[in-house]
Amino acid sequence: MVKSTYLYMFFFILCLIGNLSAQTANVSPERKQAIDSLALEKVRDLSKYIGIIGNKKTAFAEATRVMDRAEELFAPESEMGVSSLNRKDIVYYKIRKYFERLMALNYDRVSIKWYEIHYISDLELQPDGRYVGVVTVYQRFEGESDDGLKYKDTTKKDITIYVERKKTQIAGRTVEFWDVMLGDIRVTETKV
Amino acid sequence: MVELKSLLLISIILLLPSPSRAQIMVEKEDERKLYAESKQVNQFFRRFNGEEDEKGKRYYPKDKQYRSVKLRKKYLGILFDEANAGIRNELKTEFAKNILDNPETAILDFHGPNWFCEVQTSFTMNEKTQPVTLYMELEKDHLGSKWVIQKVYAGMFQPYFVRDTTRIGRFLHPLSHELDFMNLRKAFLHSDSISQFATKRFVPDYLSVFLYEIKKGNLKFVSVENVKFHFFQIDGWYFELSDFNRPGYNTGWLISNLVKLNSAADKDVLRKYLFNETK
Repeated sequence: MVKSTYLYMFFFILCLIGNLSAQTANVSPERKQAIDSLALEKVRDLSKYIGIIGNKKTAFAEATRVMDRAEELFAPESEMGVSSLNRKDIVYYKIRKYFERLMALNYDRVSIKWYEIHYISDLELQPDGRYVGVVTVYQRFEGESDDGLKYKDTTKKDITIYVERKKTQIAGRTVEFWDVMLGDIRVTETKV
Repeated sequence: MVELKSLLLISIILLLPSPSRAQIMVEKEDERKLYAESKQVNQFFRRFNGEEDEKGKRYYPKDKQYRSVKLRKKYLGILFDEANAGIRNELKTEFAKNILDNPETAILDFHGPNWFCEVQTSFTMNEKTQPVTLYMELEKDHLGSKWVIQKVYAGMFQPYFVRDTTRIGRFLHPLSHELDFMNLRKAFLHSDSISQFATKRFVPDYLSVFLYEIKKGNLKFVSVENVKFHFFQIDGWYFELSDFNRPGYNTGWLISNLVKLNSAADKDVLRKYLFNETK
Protein backbone atom coordinates (compact mmCIF):
# COMPACT_ATOMS: atom_id res chain seq x y z
CA MET A 1 0.00 0.00 0.00
CA VAL A 2 2.76 2.37 1.04
CA LYS A 3 4.79 1.37 -2.02
CA SER A 4 1.91 2.06 -4.38
CA THR A 5 1.35 5.45 -2.74
CA TYR A 6 5.01 6.31 -3.34
CA LEU A 7 4.74 5.20 -6.95
CA TYR A 8 1.70 7.40 -7.38
CA MET A 9 3.44 10.36 -5.74
CA PHE A 10 6.56 9.73 -7.80
CA PHE A 11 4.68 10.01 -11.09
CA PHE A 12 2.63 12.90 -9.76
CA ILE A 13 5.84 14.80 -9.03
CA LEU A 14 7.30 13.76 -12.39
CA CYS A 15 4.28 15.26 -14.16
CA LEU A 16 4.69 18.51 -12.27
CA ILE A 17 8.37 18.78 -13.06
CA GLY A 18 7.62 18.85 -16.78
CA ASN A 19 10.86 19.86 -18.40
CA LEU A 20 14.49 19.24 -17.55
CA SER A 21 15.49 22.81 -16.86
CA ALA A 22 18.51 23.52 -14.68
CA GLN A 23 17.95 23.79 -10.94
CA THR A 24 16.78 27.24 -9.98
CA ALA A 25 17.05 28.95 -6.64
CA ASN A 26 13.30 29.39 -6.29
CA VAL A 27 10.67 26.71 -6.13
CA SER A 28 7.40 27.71 -7.80
CA PRO A 29 4.25 27.65 -5.63
CA GLU A 30 2.85 24.69 -7.63
CA ARG A 31 6.06 22.72 -7.25
CA LYS A 32 6.27 23.62 -3.57
CA GLN A 33 2.74 22.28 -3.10
CA ALA A 34 3.69 19.00 -4.78
CA ILE A 35 6.82 18.70 -2.63
CA ASP A 36 4.77 19.48 0.51
CA SER A 37 2.39 16.65 -0.39
CA LEU A 38 5.28 14.25 -0.83
CA ALA A 39 6.84 15.37 2.47
CA LEU A 40 3.51 14.98 4.29
CA GLU A 41 3.10 11.53 2.80
CA LYS A 42 6.45 10.52 4.30
CA VAL A 43 5.56 12.08 7.65
CA ARG A 44 2.26 10.15 7.63
CA ASP A 45 4.17 6.94 6.91
CA LEU A 46 6.46 7.71 9.83
CA SER A 47 3.42 8.36 12.06
CA LYS A 48 1.94 5.03 11.01
CA TYR A 49 5.22 3.20 11.68
CA ILE A 50 5.54 4.83 15.12
CA GLY A 51 2.00 3.63 15.91
CA ILE A 52 2.89 0.05 14.92
CA ILE A 53 6.24 0.03 16.76
CA GLY A 54 4.64 1.47 19.90
CA ASN A 55 1.68 -0.95 19.82
CA LYS A 56 2.13 -3.65 22.47
CA LYS A 57 0.28 -6.17 20.28
CA THR A 58 2.90 -5.91 17.52
CA ALA A 59 5.08 -9.01 17.40
CA PHE A 60 8.82 -8.45 17.80
CA ALA A 61 9.63 -9.66 14.26
CA GLU A 62 7.00 -7.38 12.75
CA ALA A 63 8.18 -4.40 14.83
CA THR A 64 11.76 -5.02 13.66
CA ARG A 65 10.62 -5.12 10.02
CA VAL A 66 8.68 -1.87 10.47
CA MET A 67 11.70 -0.24 12.14
CA ASP A 68 13.75 -1.14 9.05
CA ARG A 69 11.13 0.47 6.81
CA ALA A 70 10.90 3.53 9.03
CA GLU A 71 14.67 3.95 9.00
CA GLU A 72 14.59 4.01 5.19
CA LEU A 73 12.64 7.27 5.34
CA PHE A 74 15.59 9.03 6.95
CA ALA A 75 18.83 10.50 5.69
CA PRO A 76 21.92 8.86 7.25
CA GLU A 77 23.03 10.18 10.66
CA SER A 78 19.57 11.52 11.50
CA GLU A 79 18.82 11.98 15.18
CA MET A 80 15.94 12.65 17.54
CA GLY A 81 16.47 15.46 20.07
CA VAL A 82 14.02 14.94 22.93
CA SER A 83 13.15 17.25 25.82
CA SER A 84 10.30 17.21 28.33
CA LEU A 85 8.53 19.73 30.56
CA ASN A 86 10.59 18.53 33.53
CA ARG A 87 13.87 18.35 31.68
CA LYS A 88 14.94 21.18 29.37
CA ASP A 89 18.18 19.46 28.38
CA ILE A 90 17.91 17.78 25.02
CA VAL A 91 18.62 14.06 24.95
CA TYR A 92 19.88 12.92 21.57
CA TYR A 93 19.04 9.50 20.11
CA LYS A 94 19.90 7.88 16.81
CA ILE A 95 16.67 7.15 14.94
CA ARG A 96 16.96 3.39 15.39
CA LYS A 97 17.64 3.78 19.12
CA TYR A 98 14.55 5.99 19.48
CA PHE A 99 12.36 3.33 17.84
CA GLU A 100 13.89 0.62 20.04
CA ARG A 101 13.14 2.68 23.14
CA LEU A 102 9.57 3.20 21.94
CA MET A 103 9.16 -0.56 21.45
CA ALA A 104 10.60 -1.31 24.90
CA LEU A 105 8.31 1.12 26.80
CA ASN A 106 6.99 -0.56 29.89
CA TYR A 107 3.24 -0.11 29.35
CA ASP A 108 0.67 -2.80 28.71
CA ARG A 109 -1.48 -0.54 26.56
CA VAL A 110 -0.25 2.32 24.43
CA SER A 111 -2.28 4.77 22.40
CA ILE A 112 -0.57 7.08 19.89
CA LYS A 113 -2.75 9.65 18.14
CA TRP A 114 -1.83 12.47 15.80
CA TYR A 115 -3.56 15.81 15.66
CA GLU A 116 -4.94 16.77 12.26
CA ILE A 117 -2.90 19.93 12.35
CA HIS A 118 0.45 20.29 10.62
CA TYR A 119 2.64 23.17 9.53
CA ILE A 120 5.11 23.17 6.65
CA SER A 121 7.86 25.78 6.41
CA ASP A 122 9.22 27.38 3.26
CA LEU A 123 11.99 25.49 1.51
CA GLU A 124 15.47 26.96 1.90
CA LEU A 125 18.46 26.22 -0.27
CA GLN A 126 21.50 24.74 1.51
CA PRO A 127 25.10 25.34 0.37
CA ASP A 128 25.12 21.87 -1.28
CA GLY A 129 22.13 22.68 -3.51
CA ARG A 130 19.62 20.57 -1.59
CA TYR A 131 16.51 22.20 -0.21
CA VAL A 132 15.63 21.91 3.47
CA GLY A 133 12.31 22.45 5.20
CA VAL A 134 10.61 21.66 8.50
CA VAL A 135 7.26 19.94 8.99
CA THR A 136 5.65 20.35 12.42
CA VAL A 137 3.16 17.77 13.70
CA TYR A 138 1.66 17.03 17.12
CA GLN A 139 1.33 13.63 18.75
CA ARG A 140 -0.71 12.52 21.74
CA PHE A 141 0.68 9.55 23.68
CA GLU A 142 -1.09 7.56 26.36
CA GLY A 143 0.41 4.59 28.15
CA GLU A 144 -1.23 2.41 30.79
CA SER A 145 0.08 -0.56 32.70
CA ASP A 146 -1.98 -3.33 34.30
CA ASP A 147 -1.19 -2.08 37.79
CA GLY A 148 -3.02 1.17 36.92
CA LEU A 149 0.02 3.33 36.19
CA LYS A 150 -0.91 5.91 33.56
CA TYR A 151 1.19 8.35 31.58
CA LYS A 152 0.16 10.79 28.88
CA ASP A 153 1.79 13.61 27.01
CA THR A 154 1.47 15.75 23.92
CA THR A 155 4.62 16.28 21.91
CA LYS A 156 5.44 18.67 19.13
CA LYS A 157 7.60 17.07 16.46
CA ASP A 158 9.60 19.38 14.20
CA ILE A 159 10.76 17.14 11.37
CA THR A 160 13.55 18.15 8.99
CA ILE A 161 12.90 17.34 5.34
CA TYR A 162 15.59 17.33 2.67
CA VAL A 163 14.40 17.84 -0.87
CA GLU A 164 16.65 16.94 -3.74
CA ARG A 165 16.25 16.83 -7.48
CA LYS A 166 17.37 13.44 -8.78
CA LYS A 167 17.61 11.74 -12.15
CA THR A 168 16.49 8.32 -13.24
CA GLN A 169 16.20 6.33 -16.48
CA ILE A 170 12.72 5.33 -17.58
CA ALA A 171 12.43 3.47 -20.90
CA GLY A 172 15.76 4.89 -22.04
CA ARG A 173 14.82 8.46 -21.21
CA THR A 174 16.42 10.48 -18.42
CA VAL A 175 13.78 12.06 -16.25
CA GLU A 176 14.23 14.23 -13.21
CA PHE A 177 12.17 13.98 -10.05
CA TRP A 178 12.10 15.47 -6.56
CA ASP A 179 12.97 13.13 -3.72
CA VAL A 180 12.19 13.83 -0.07
CA MET A 181 14.13 12.37 2.86
CA LEU A 182 13.45 12.93 6.53
CA GLY A 183 16.25 14.26 8.75
CA ASP A 184 16.70 15.25 12.40
CA ILE A 185 13.56 15.48 14.52
CA ARG A 186 13.18 17.76 17.51
CA VAL A 187 10.66 16.38 19.98
CA THR A 188 9.32 18.82 22.57
CA GLU A 189 6.77 17.97 25.22
CA THR A 190 4.18 20.67 24.92
CA LYS A 191 1.49 22.18 27.15
CA VAL A 192 -1.74 22.59 25.21
CA MET B 1 -41.54 -0.64 10.53
CA VAL B 2 -38.99 1.69 8.99
CA GLU B 3 -39.26 4.00 12.03
CA LEU B 4 -38.64 1.08 14.36
CA LYS B 5 -35.55 0.11 12.37
CA SER B 6 -34.21 3.67 12.53
CA LEU B 7 -34.82 3.80 16.28
CA LEU B 8 -32.98 0.52 16.73
CA LEU B 9 -30.07 1.77 14.62
CA ILE B 10 -29.80 5.01 16.61
CA SER B 11 -29.89 3.05 19.86
CA ILE B 12 -27.07 0.77 18.65
CA ILE B 13 -24.96 3.74 17.55
CA LEU B 14 -25.48 5.41 20.92
CA LEU B 15 -24.47 2.26 22.78
CA LEU B 16 -21.31 1.68 20.73
CA PRO B 17 -18.09 2.66 22.52
CA SER B 18 -17.01 5.98 21.06
CA PRO B 19 -15.10 9.05 22.21
CA SER B 20 -17.31 11.07 24.50
CA ARG B 21 -18.68 14.41 23.39
CA ALA B 22 -16.58 16.07 26.10
CA GLN B 23 -13.42 14.38 24.80
CA ILE B 24 -14.13 15.47 21.22
CA MET B 25 -14.73 19.03 22.47
CA VAL B 26 -11.40 18.97 24.34
CA GLU B 27 -9.58 17.72 21.24
CA LYS B 28 -11.17 20.42 19.07
CA GLU B 29 -10.21 23.04 21.66
CA ASP B 30 -6.64 21.69 21.67
CA GLU B 31 -6.50 21.95 17.89
CA ARG B 32 -7.70 25.53 17.95
CA LYS B 33 -4.89 26.33 20.39
CA LEU B 34 -2.35 24.60 18.18
CA TYR B 35 -3.54 26.56 15.16
CA ALA B 36 -3.15 29.78 17.13
CA GLU B 37 0.43 28.90 18.17
CA SER B 38 3.23 30.40 16.08
CA LYS B 39 4.68 26.95 15.56
CA GLN B 40 7.91 27.83 13.78
CA VAL B 41 10.02 30.97 13.43
CA ASN B 42 9.09 30.60 9.75
CA GLN B 43 5.44 31.03 10.72
CA PHE B 44 6.26 34.11 12.78
CA PHE B 45 7.90 35.64 9.67
CA ARG B 46 4.90 34.79 7.50
CA ARG B 47 2.38 36.09 10.01
CA PHE B 48 4.35 39.27 10.65
CA ASN B 49 4.56 39.92 6.91
CA GLY B 50 0.97 38.79 6.23
CA GLU B 51 1.94 35.89 3.99
CA GLU B 52 -0.35 33.05 5.12
CA ASP B 53 -3.93 32.30 6.14
CA GLU B 54 -4.99 31.23 9.64
CA LYS B 55 -4.52 27.54 8.75
CA GLY B 56 -0.91 28.16 7.68
CA LYS B 57 -1.57 28.07 3.91
CA ARG B 58 1.00 30.25 2.22
CA TYR B 59 0.02 33.29 0.18
CA TYR B 60 2.13 34.26 -2.83
CA PRO B 61 2.54 37.68 -4.49
CA LYS B 62 -0.22 36.84 -6.99
CA ASP B 63 -2.74 36.36 -4.14
CA LYS B 64 -4.94 39.29 -3.15
CA GLN B 65 -4.37 38.80 0.59
CA TYR B 66 -0.54 38.61 0.26
CA ARG B 67 0.92 41.16 2.70
CA SER B 68 -2.45 42.95 2.89
CA VAL B 69 -2.66 45.58 5.62
CA LYS B 70 -5.86 43.98 6.93
CA LEU B 71 -4.15 40.62 7.35
CA ARG B 72 -1.06 42.14 8.95
CA LYS B 73 -3.20 44.12 11.38
CA LYS B 74 -4.96 40.92 12.44
CA TYR B 75 -1.69 39.03 13.00
CA LEU B 76 0.17 41.86 14.75
CA GLY B 77 -2.35 41.62 17.56
CA ILE B 78 -1.42 38.01 18.35
CA LEU B 79 2.35 38.11 17.93
CA PHE B 80 3.23 39.57 21.34
CA ASP B 81 3.80 37.74 24.61
CA GLU B 82 0.66 38.92 26.41
CA ALA B 83 1.99 37.79 29.79
CA ASN B 84 4.80 40.34 29.58
CA ALA B 85 3.58 43.48 31.30
CA GLY B 86 6.98 45.04 30.58
CA ILE B 87 5.91 45.85 27.02
CA ARG B 88 3.52 48.78 27.37
CA ASN B 89 0.36 48.70 25.25
CA GLU B 90 1.08 52.22 23.93
CA LEU B 91 4.47 51.03 22.69
CA LYS B 92 2.92 47.99 20.97
CA THR B 93 0.33 50.27 19.32
CA GLU B 94 3.02 52.67 18.14
CA PHE B 95 5.05 49.77 16.74
CA ALA B 96 2.01 48.31 14.96
CA LYS B 97 1.07 51.73 13.56
CA ASN B 98 4.62 52.18 12.27
CA ILE B 99 4.39 48.85 10.43
CA LEU B 100 0.92 49.42 9.02
CA ASP B 101 1.88 52.94 7.87
CA ASN B 102 4.93 51.55 6.05
CA PRO B 103 3.75 48.12 4.91
CA GLU B 104 6.19 47.87 2.02
CA THR B 105 9.36 48.57 3.99
CA ALA B 106 8.36 47.10 7.36
CA ILE B 107 8.92 43.54 6.18
CA LEU B 108 11.00 40.85 7.88
CA ASP B 109 13.52 39.35 5.48
CA PHE B 110 14.84 35.89 6.35
CA HIS B 111 17.92 36.38 4.17
CA GLY B 112 18.41 40.02 5.09
CA PRO B 113 20.88 41.53 7.56
CA ASN B 114 20.12 42.99 11.00
CA TRP B 115 18.82 39.94 12.79
CA PHE B 116 20.61 37.17 14.63
CA CYS B 117 20.04 34.24 16.92
CA GLU B 118 21.19 33.79 20.51
CA VAL B 119 21.66 30.16 21.52
CA GLN B 120 22.21 29.33 25.17
CA THR B 121 24.18 26.09 25.40
CA SER B 122 25.97 24.04 28.00
CA PHE B 123 29.45 22.57 27.65
CA THR B 124 31.75 20.77 30.02
CA MET B 125 35.18 22.21 30.73
CA ASN B 126 37.42 20.12 32.97
CA GLU B 127 34.34 18.03 33.83
CA LYS B 128 32.42 21.08 35.07
CA THR B 129 29.24 22.17 33.25
CA GLN B 130 29.58 25.69 31.87
CA PRO B 131 27.09 27.94 30.04
CA VAL B 132 28.19 29.25 26.65
CA THR B 133 26.20 31.71 24.51
CA LEU B 134 26.52 31.36 20.75
CA TYR B 135 25.46 34.27 18.55
CA MET B 136 24.50 32.88 15.17
CA GLU B 137 23.80 34.52 11.83
CA LEU B 138 22.82 33.33 8.37
CA GLU B 139 25.62 33.40 5.84
CA LYS B 140 25.43 32.87 2.09
CA ASP B 141 27.58 29.96 0.97
CA HIS B 142 27.85 28.28 -2.44
CA LEU B 143 24.31 27.52 -3.67
CA GLY B 144 22.45 28.42 -0.50
CA SER B 145 22.91 29.64 3.04
CA LYS B 146 23.84 28.31 6.47
CA TRP B 147 23.86 29.37 10.12
CA VAL B 148 27.33 30.29 11.37
CA ILE B 149 28.74 31.32 14.75
CA GLN B 150 29.27 35.06 14.66
CA LYS B 151 30.34 35.57 18.26
CA VAL B 152 30.63 33.64 21.51
CA TYR B 153 30.25 34.68 25.11
CA ALA B 154 31.36 32.44 27.95
CA GLY B 155 31.54 33.71 31.53
CA MET B 156 34.22 31.13 32.32
CA PHE B 157 36.66 32.93 29.98
CA GLN B 158 35.99 36.39 31.41
CA PRO B 159 38.28 36.34 34.50
CA TYR B 160 41.26 35.67 32.23
CA PHE B 161 40.79 38.99 30.45
CA VAL B 162 39.95 41.28 33.37
CA ARG B 163 42.31 44.25 33.47
CA ASP B 164 42.42 47.21 35.81
CA THR B 165 43.43 50.19 33.63
CA THR B 166 43.06 52.74 36.46
CA ARG B 167 46.20 51.55 38.27
CA ILE B 168 49.67 52.05 36.86
CA GLY B 169 50.43 48.37 37.49
CA ARG B 170 53.18 46.45 35.71
CA PHE B 171 54.60 47.55 32.37
CA LEU B 172 57.52 47.23 29.96
CA HIS B 173 59.43 50.51 30.19
CA PRO B 174 59.78 52.58 27.01
CA LEU B 175 63.45 51.71 26.46
CA SER B 176 62.98 47.95 26.76
CA HIS B 177 63.79 47.62 23.05
CA GLU B 178 67.37 48.77 23.69
CA LEU B 179 67.86 45.65 25.80
CA ASP B 180 66.26 43.32 23.27
CA PHE B 181 63.19 43.17 25.54
CA MET B 182 65.12 41.11 28.06
CA ASN B 183 62.55 42.20 30.69
CA LEU B 184 59.89 40.10 28.97
CA ARG B 185 61.13 37.20 31.10
CA LYS B 186 59.92 39.02 34.23
CA ALA B 187 56.69 40.09 32.50
CA PHE B 188 55.72 36.51 31.68
CA LEU B 189 56.74 35.17 35.07
CA HIS B 190 53.39 36.10 36.68
CA SER B 191 50.49 34.84 34.59
CA ASP B 192 47.97 36.81 36.71
CA SER B 193 49.28 40.15 35.51
CA ILE B 194 50.00 39.20 31.90
CA SER B 195 47.01 41.14 30.48
CA GLN B 196 48.57 44.38 31.81
CA PHE B 197 51.08 44.13 28.98
CA ALA B 198 48.39 44.14 26.28
CA THR B 199 47.23 47.31 24.54
CA LYS B 200 44.33 49.32 25.95
CA ARG B 201 42.48 48.68 22.69
CA PHE B 202 42.56 44.92 23.28
CA VAL B 203 39.16 43.26 23.07
CA PRO B 204 39.03 39.55 23.92
CA ASP B 205 37.79 37.35 21.12
CA TYR B 206 35.90 34.56 22.86
CA LEU B 207 35.14 32.80 19.58
CA SER B 208 38.86 32.15 19.01
CA VAL B 209 39.30 30.85 22.56
CA PHE B 210 36.17 28.74 22.18
CA LEU B 211 37.37 27.12 18.95
CA TYR B 212 40.82 26.55 20.44
CA GLU B 213 39.46 24.84 23.56
CA ILE B 214 37.18 22.59 21.52
CA LYS B 215 40.01 21.62 19.17
CA LYS B 216 42.24 20.87 22.15
CA GLY B 217 39.50 18.58 23.45
CA ASN B 218 39.00 20.55 26.66
CA LEU B 219 35.53 21.87 25.88
CA LYS B 220 32.78 19.36 25.12
CA PHE B 221 29.22 20.09 23.96
CA VAL B 222 26.38 18.94 26.20
CA SER B 223 23.09 20.51 25.11
CA VAL B 224 21.14 23.48 23.80
CA GLU B 225 19.28 25.16 26.65
CA ASN B 226 17.42 28.02 24.97
CA VAL B 227 17.07 29.80 21.65
CA LYS B 228 15.92 33.33 20.94
CA PHE B 229 16.23 35.89 18.15
CA HIS B 230 17.03 39.60 17.99
CA PHE B 231 15.63 41.76 15.21
CA PHE B 232 16.82 45.20 14.10
CA GLN B 233 15.14 44.89 10.69
CA ILE B 234 12.28 47.32 11.36
CA ASP B 235 13.69 50.80 11.04
CA GLY B 236 13.82 52.55 14.44
CA TRP B 237 12.86 49.45 16.41
CA TYR B 238 14.36 46.41 18.10
CA PHE B 239 12.43 43.36 19.20
CA GLU B 240 13.27 40.01 20.73
CA LEU B 241 11.58 36.76 19.69
CA SER B 242 11.23 33.88 22.18
CA ASP B 243 9.40 30.56 22.28
CA PHE B 244 6.61 30.16 24.84
CA ASN B 245 5.59 26.60 25.64
CA ARG B 246 2.56 27.07 27.91
CA PRO B 247 -1.17 26.38 27.92
CA GLY B 248 -3.56 28.68 26.09
CA TYR B 249 -3.72 30.53 22.80
CA ASN B 250 -0.80 32.96 23.24
CA THR B 251 1.99 30.46 22.61
CA GLY B 252 4.92 29.60 20.37
CA TRP B 253 7.27 32.19 18.87
CA LEU B 254 6.22 35.60 20.21
CA ILE B 255 7.72 39.06 20.63
CA SER B 256 9.12 39.04 24.17
CA ASN B 257 10.75 42.47 24.21
CA LEU B 258 10.26 45.68 22.24
CA VAL B 259 12.42 48.80 22.26
CA LYS B 260 12.04 52.00 20.28
CA LEU B 261 15.44 53.17 19.01
CA ASN B 262 15.73 56.93 18.85
CA SER B 263 19.21 57.06 17.35
CA ALA B 264 22.04 55.01 15.85
CA ALA B 265 23.79 55.33 19.22
CA ASP B 266 20.80 53.64 20.93
CA LYS B 267 21.10 50.77 18.50
CA ASP B 268 24.84 50.47 19.09
CA VAL B 269 24.46 50.42 22.89
CA LEU B 270 21.76 47.77 22.67
CA ARG B 271 23.77 45.57 20.30
CA LYS B 272 26.75 45.70 22.65
CA TYR B 273 24.52 44.82 25.58
CA LEU B 274 23.09 41.82 23.70
CA PHE B 275 26.58 40.63 22.82
CA ASN B 276 27.81 41.06 26.42
CA GLU B 277 30.39 43.53 25.15
CA THR B 278 31.82 46.35 27.24
CA LYS B 279 33.80 48.14 24.53
